[in-house]
Amino acid sequence: MKNHFLFPYWCRFLGWALFLFHIPVVIFKDNLGFRFDEDSQAQGLFNSHHVFFILTALLMTVGLFLVAFAKEKIEDEQIWSVRLESLRWAIYINYAILIVSLVFLDDVHHIMELNLWVPLIFFIVRFRWVIFRLNRLAGREN
Amino acid sequence: MKNNIRVERAIKNITQADLAEKVGVSRQTINTIESQKYVPSTVLALKIARVFEKPLEDIFTLEEGD
Repeated sequence: MKNHFLFPYWCRFLGWALFLFHIPVVIFKDNLGFRFDEDSQAQGLFNSHHVFFILTALLMTVGLFLVAFAKEKIEDEQIWSVRLESLRWAIYINYAILIVSLVFLDDVHHIMELNLWVPLIFFIVRFRWVIFRLNRLAGREN
Repeated sequence: MKNNIRVERAIKNITQADLAEKVGVSRQTINTIESQKYVPSTVLALKIARVFEKPLEDIFTLEEGD
């Protein structure tokens, strides 16, 4: 079965590396020269806030994206159907959270950030959980 | 849909892993097909039948309610 539009298997590890990259950036943010006072905020495109956002939130998103859409070692039709099913659940959950938070919260900025991660994280958790269960089931047989 | 892959495997004396390798899927997939938790595509069903050198309907049969 030919699966298009998936990243190679090794992208999963690259994805986790990118996802974890924000930890040292957050710990050493003062040493790296980020300034978050009012003066630095106003200047241009690549101010401290902007670069910090790219290095943390955005790299996390790209990392999760790579993890979510990297190929499995053996890609077959069952993996494909588990992936689709998990995506469907991720979209359901995402829209449920989005609608509830749009009704009850007034903080559009955080809602957007939530929206950036919820579908990817839920998809990854659900997808890996189902594959873990399949592996356990198959392991018990032998 | 019922199938007798487990019986056919026993006759041919091959493991789930062997069959999985022959048809190009993971062992988990063969396992879930055998335990009737997953219905394979037509292509995969035909490949499995070819491994056992039998017509498709000797291996896969419809159940009532299908």
